Amino acid sequence: RLQRLKDRDAVTRFDREVNRTERHDAPLSLSTRVKFREAARRVRLKTRLQSWPPTAEEAYNFFTFNFEPDPQDKTEKTTRKIKKQGKKDEEDRDGEGESDEQEHNEEDEDKEDLFVIDQSSQDFLEVKKAEYIRYHKRAEKDRKLLFTPSFQTVQTSLKLPENIKPRYLEDEGLYVGERPPVSRTNENIMENRILKAEEKWFGDDGRILALPNPIKESSTRPPLFHMEEDLDSGLQTVYRKAVKSKYANLYIAGTTEPEGDYQLDVDVSGLIFSHHSLFSREHVLGSRLVQLYDQYLSRQNNNLTGHLTDKVAPTMNTVWRLSKYFGFLFLNVSKRTNNIPWYISFGCYRNTRQLRDGEQEKDRTLLKNIIKVWKEIKALRDFQKFTNTPYKLYLRRENVDRVSDEREYEREIMAEVVELEAEKEEEYQRKLAEYKKQLEEWKLWRKKQAQADAEDDDEDRDVSESEGPVEDGPSKPEPPEKPDLDSTEQGVREKASRIRRKPGEPILIPELSASGNITTSDVCPRPEVARREDVARRSLFIKILYNNKEVTRTVSRSLNSDFRVHFGQIFNLKIVNCPQSICLQVYEEIGSSCSLLAQVFVPVPEPSVLTGSGVIEEFEFSSNHRVMFDHEGVGSDVPLSLEADGSNKQILLTSGKVACCVSWGIGEDDVPLAPPVSQQPGGLHSGMGRFDAVSYIGASGLYDMKKIGEWATQSRLDPNDPNNASIMQLLQVASSGEVTAPDYFRLEQMQEEFNFVTDEELDSSKRFRLLKLRNQGVPEFRNYKMVPPFEREVTEKVFQEYEKRLKEGNIVDTKEHLDSHRALVATYLQKIRESVINRFLLAKHHYLLSDVVIEEEIPSIGILGINIFKLAEPKRPLKPQRKERKKVTAQNLSDGDIKLLVNIIRAYDIPVRRPQNNKPGQSSQSAIQSSDWILGQVQVRPFVEVSFQRTTLQTTTADGPNPSWSEELQLPFSAPNGDYSTSSLQSVKDEVFINIFDEMVDKDRGKSINTRIERHWLGSIKIPFSTIYSQSKIDGTFKVNTPAVLLGYSKERGNGGYDTWRLSEGTFITLFITIEPQLVPGEPVREKFDSQEDERLLQASERFEREASQSYPDRPCITTVIDLNGKTVFITRYIRPLNPPQELLDMFPNNPQEAMALVARFVSLIPSLPDRVAFSGTCDLWSTCDQFLTFLAGDEEEHAVLLCNYFLSMGKTPSLIIGTAIPEGPTAYVLTYEQNRYLIWNPSSGQYYSQYDTFCPLQTIGCLVTSDNVYFNIQQYTSPMRVSFDTGKANLWKPFFSRSFSNPGLSSVQPEQLVYRRIDKGAAAELQDRIEKILKEKIMEWRPRHPTRWNRYCTSTLKQFLPKLEMSGGQDLAEGHRHELQSLLGDHRISGFPLHLPFSEIRPIIEAVYSTGVHNVQASNVEFALAVYVHPYPSNVLSVWVYLASLIRM
Amino acid sequence: MAELHIIGQIVGASGFPQNSLFCKWGVHAGGAWRLLSGLKEGQTQVDNPQTGDMAYWSHPIDLHYATKGLQGWPKLHLQVWHQDSFGRCQLYGYGYCHVPSSPGQHRISCATWRPVGTWQEQLSRMFVGGGPQLRNPDLIYTGADRYRLHTEAMGVVELELGIILRRFDKYGVES
Repeated sequence: RLQRLKDRDAVTRFDREVNRTERHDAPLSLSTRVKFREAARRVRLKTRLQSWPPTAEEAYNFFTFNFEPDPQDKTEKTTRKIKKQGKKDEEDRDGEGESDEQEHNEEDEDKEDLFVIDQSSQDFLEVKKAEYIRYHKRAEKDRKLLFTPSFQTVQTSLKLPENIKPRYLEDEGLYVGERPPVSRTNENIMENRILKAEEKWFGDDGRILALPNPIKESSTRPPLFHMEEDLDSGLQTVYRKAVKSKYANLYIAGTTEPEGDYQLDVDVSGLIFSHHSLFSREHVLGSRLVQLYDQYLSRQNNNLTGHLTDKVAPTMNTVWRLSKYFGFLFLNVSKRTNNIPWYISFGCYRNTRQLRDGEQEKDRTLLKNIIKVWKEIKALRDFQKFTNTPYKLYLRRENVDRVSDEREYEREIMAEVVELEAEKEEEYQRKLAEYKKQLEEWKLWRKKQAQADAEDDDEDRDVSESEGPVEDGPSKPEPPEKPDLDSTEQGVREKASRIRRKPGEPILIPELSASGNITTSDVCPRPEVARREDVARRSLFIKILYNNKEVTRTVSRSLNSDFRVHFGQIFNLKIVNCPQSICLQVYEEIGSSCSLLAQVFVPVPEPSVLTGSGVIEEFEFSSNHRVMFDHEGVGSDVPLSLEADGSNKQILLTSGKVACCVSWGIGEDDVPLAPPVSQQPGGLHSGMGRFDAVSYIGASGLYDMKKIGEWATQSRLDPNDPNNASIMQLLQVASSGEVTAPDYFRLEQMQEEFNFVTDEELDSSKRFRLLKLRNQGVPEFRNYKMVPPFEREVTEKVFQEYEKRLKEGNIVDTKEHLDSHRALVATYLQKIRESVINRFLLAKHHYLLSDVVIEEEIPSIGILGINIFKLAEPKRPLKPQRKERKKVTAQNLSDGDIKLLVNIIRAYDIPVRRPQNNKPGQSSQSAIQSSDWILGQVQVRPFVEVSFQRTTLQTTTADGPNPSWSEELQLPFSAPNGDYSTSSLQSVKDEVFINIFDEMVDKDRGKSINTRIERHWLGSIKIPFSTIYSQSKIDGTFKVNTPAVLLGYSKERGNGGYDTWRLSEGTFITLFITIEPQLVPGEPVREKFDSQEDERLLQASERFEREASQSYPDRPCITTVIDLNGKTVFITRYIRPLNPPQELLDMFPNNPQEAMALVARFVSLIPSLPDRVAFSGTCDLWSTCDQFLTFLAGDEEEHAVLLCNYFLSMGKTPSLIIGTAIPEGPTAYVLTYEQNRYLIWNPSSGQYYSQYDTFCPLQTIGCLVTSDNVYFNIQQYTSPMRVSFDTGKANLWKPFFSRSFSNPGLSSVQPEQLVYRRIDKGAAAELQDRIEKILKEKIMEWRPRHPTRWNRYCTSTLKQFLPKLEMSGGQDLAEGHRHELQSLLGDHRISGFPLHLPFSEIRPIIEAVYSTGVHNVQASNVEFALAVYVHPYPSNVLSVWVYLASLIRM
Repeated sequence: MAELHIIGQIVGASGFPQNSLFCKWGVHAGGAWRLLSGLKEGQTQVDNPQTGDMAYWSHPIDLHYATKGLQGWPKLHLQVWHQDSFGRCQLYGYGYCHVPSSPGQHRISCATWRPVGTWQEQLSRMFVGGGPQLRNPDLIYTGADRYRLHTEAMGVVELELGIILRRFDKYGVES
């Protein structure tokens, strides 16, 4: 079937196909082989057609022949058939391909036929006629295949994309170049051909591209070879190594780049002493001579006298000539004419002459002094018979022509005389004129007066009488005196002889040479030889300190006999930190020990001062060390007389000059290794600033010539640098005032035109100013919460305070301080504070990782174990303990987040009410009833009131003298300005007042059921917030500050019980105070400060402290402290006997016990001010006693040191206890040994406790400091009761200086003795009045709704008590006092008390008065009494007593 | 008198050859601009991502400018640094972008580049770290011709900036 299908196919198609191929293709490409096959096939076809139906053989073949079917073919054929039916019209084209395929198919079949059938050659050949295709046909065919471009011009529009006009680059100004010559026809043909081919060959102008395009579409770039050298400076790159960032680099202004390879070259060339302790007398004179000579030379150099003389001379000549011509005639003329025009111009001449006279006089005295000193030297040399100095003075005489000199001299004198006379004349004339005028006036007045008198007589006599004496007319003027012209000449001559060379005297020119011989040592006497040997033993070197760190030192050079040392060394300091100070320390070396002679601070050079351009400058130094010798050396700081009789003593200090030069280094390629010029704060990329004017003065400043000029001078532009030419030219134009067309252009030159507003408007915006100030953290605006959105809502008032502060600067408001001395101290303290803050600024910036990141500790196995044990713990333990809370950093806090928790637990021994004898007459009656009465009467009903920042909370009322409250009070805390940063919290000065009151319910007996609740103040404690903040909690029993006298109350005594013995001291209260949430107290400054202490000592102290803190972490141990200059000082240097004020000692000459108490009281009267409040940083600065007494404010340490020093001078053996106490925390107390027992003194309260006192506030004892050693407590216990104070025992106290490291004999930093200011009673009285006035006003202010009446009688009585209280030091005077008062004010119920405070400012006094709540008495018939007494102590220490009382009429 | 608030953050960087990156940034404005509040430059922490390529800093930027003109609109310039395991820092890229001038929230990708240097420098950078840096970093935002500078592209720094304009309309600047 397949075959049939195939055959049919062949039948239907094949013949026609063949015909077609015959017709078309044969002439083109048929090979002979194909022809041959075709022939064979045709034959077979013939046979096939003939033998139908097929033979048996055929049939057999058909059925048995193994066809190798080609599945592809079959499918192809079937598909093709389908295709053919669908697409008849495509047949024609497909034909060719198909025929080929057909041929292949048939080939397989035909092969067999070829071999099977034997055929003759005739069968293969066929004769055919030559084929010819007609021309038309061929042309037609060709037209189909070929394209002939025409040679006609193509329209441009065809050549360009649609809707685009031709663009001629030449017309646009671009260079196109010449096209290669091509004939027009060829071009047209080409264009046509290209158009047909649709290729992109046309340019924008519609022509064939023949030239390279002048516009580059993609940029090409020149190769980078050999170009590195002339790269623009902005494009240059530097290869930088990967380095660890140096944090300190941040502080070189403006560069966070590790670019800061800065180098300072310090050239120390030498040292010259102008005085040294080893100077002999001759040296002293010699150096004086040299100084004078130098002065002379410099004067000679300046030649001021000559200059002035030249200036004076012409005028002088004129005067001279005039006077010569007219003789003295002209003077007379001038007298008459009254206006002399020529001498008016003498005004400036006169000044010049006076200047010249002064200079001449100086010259002459200088010369005289030189000669005098030289004579002294000569005398000395003669006297001691040897010479020490090589100086020789020659006086060169320059003879002058005597006659001409005299004439000149005379002439000058004459001129001066004339001029002086004229001057006097002028003065006279002026006075005369004035006189005349006054006389006129007077006459006029007389006339008027006479008239008025006449009128008055007529009208009213009374008026004239009353007015008469008041309206006293001018008195009759006196005529001026005539000038004394005769004495003038004499005066001039006297002056001339004093200041000028005498006529004819030779001019003396001194010449100093150092060519003299020095007597050799073997001729000299013994002391001199000793001196010289001493000199030879000494050598000097200079340490160079950069930012207070020693960086290098020079070699040590021995001291020469001429006291000049030459070093000539240059040190290159590679620096990273911003230069703050460069200091040269001159050290003197004797043998192996060396001592600091002096320090010289060298200014940090300007960045433009480079090595080479810097000049060697001389810096003077001096030292105040006292040195004395037993040989010829004159010593230093020792009175010295150069006269033979020992008179005219003077004190010379070691001094001299260091010649050195500090400049910025220059790198290898002449790059200055200096920081940028403009040290603007911050500026990550401000490196440009040094050569970019725009970034320096800002773009708007470019219009301002002045600013440019300023910048140019400041940055020291090199005028020869071609880069600066335009600026230089501009400056020239600006300074000459000519306006020419400038040949420069400005950056942002259109700025002005497009400005919204002017600079002034921008500056005057109050809102912007407010925002800026807030951003800068100006104290007034820090944490300013709401800045209004509109300009108009910002009031001027906001800035008033700030502007006032700016204007006033450091003028301290005396009103606030009430005392001029304290005002001064406040300013001084302010300055110190600023400097301290600046010093700590750097130290504060050194953060550790732990400062930034809080890392929770990973619990270890041990903690896990403990936690497991905790599970077994009782839920509610019998004795609950306080847990450590999590600390909160202050930054994310706001108002109201922080609370102060005050837990008031209990109080002991509160004073009880005294049974009142209201009426003295009934005393006997009440005495009978008293025992009965007391039982029924409440003793006292105390409650506690806590006030803090004007918030007041109170506990419930308890009963009895030993109440227990166990109450917790929560007080809100708000920081100043809402700033909760550590530094701000540290400086909070507020105090927590804890007051105990007695609540008294006053029933008006009999009348009605009105009850009135009154409260009476019984005592208080105040705890500064800063203490709570730094301690984070305060826990313990405190002594309540009870007033010395409490009217209406008495101490309950002998109440029986076991603890009577200890309650004799006063009232106590148990408290626990903390801050919720717990704040992180400020970290102490970690920076190690520089020190003048020996390096070995510092190391030892560091080791000592470290060991101490390792073995006993909770015991404070201090061996070194920081003084006010920020230097580390060994602590024992602070202890030195110092005299207390003599007045105090005189008071109890025979009773040392009393005297000690008085001294302690004096010390406690100095107000205390914690360092962290004073300096707003966590630092502990120790001031010396004299500084402390000047400031009149200090920490506990200062108090303790002062007290300790006083005790030392009083012959005791005190030591300083460094320990912790409540509430102040780490503190210092003083320990003395008196009558076989140890006393512990609290220096800030003046109290003393015995060692076994339970209520001693001192809790732990860390170490003891005496004047020569420090002992660290290595006993088992720290509490004073259980500590043995026997420092001799090595197993109890570990000494700092021991046999292995002995005390090097440290000198003290304290002054030798204290100088006290006298007691100023007048000032105290004045202050007293002022305080009283202020307090009275305040109390009235606090009672706005009630009238405040003052009981004057009571006030005056109270005033008398106060001095007595002061005398007794606050001892109990209550009995007598009460009786006195009672008798005076029988019908009043009085409650009151005296307050005692040290005086620092008025504010604490007001606070203390407010906290007692006296003003809160609401009763209508209340009267008040207030008395103030200020007792002055030496050195302006003041003790303030305020007696407050409220009286209620019964 | 117009005001501009730039509030946003430097989110992070990606596409750098190494991790452990930090960024120094600064805002540069023309002479007509006044900074009222905020810090105009700073440095982020070093971020060493444990997973992923992107180093996140989330460094806040909060600036308040007042201006009297449009010239010198603030631009942000960045330097991305790499801190290697020895704690040494080397420059990885300079970048620069303008602060957007339309109000609203913007997410900005700032591409960075660094100078290539000579082959010796490249070689030493490969082995010992460090690398060429601009002698004058102002070039990052100044308009000087840089065609002779040979640089290579580094990663991309992502920024998110919120822009608030105030009173610009009063002076005829429409946003």
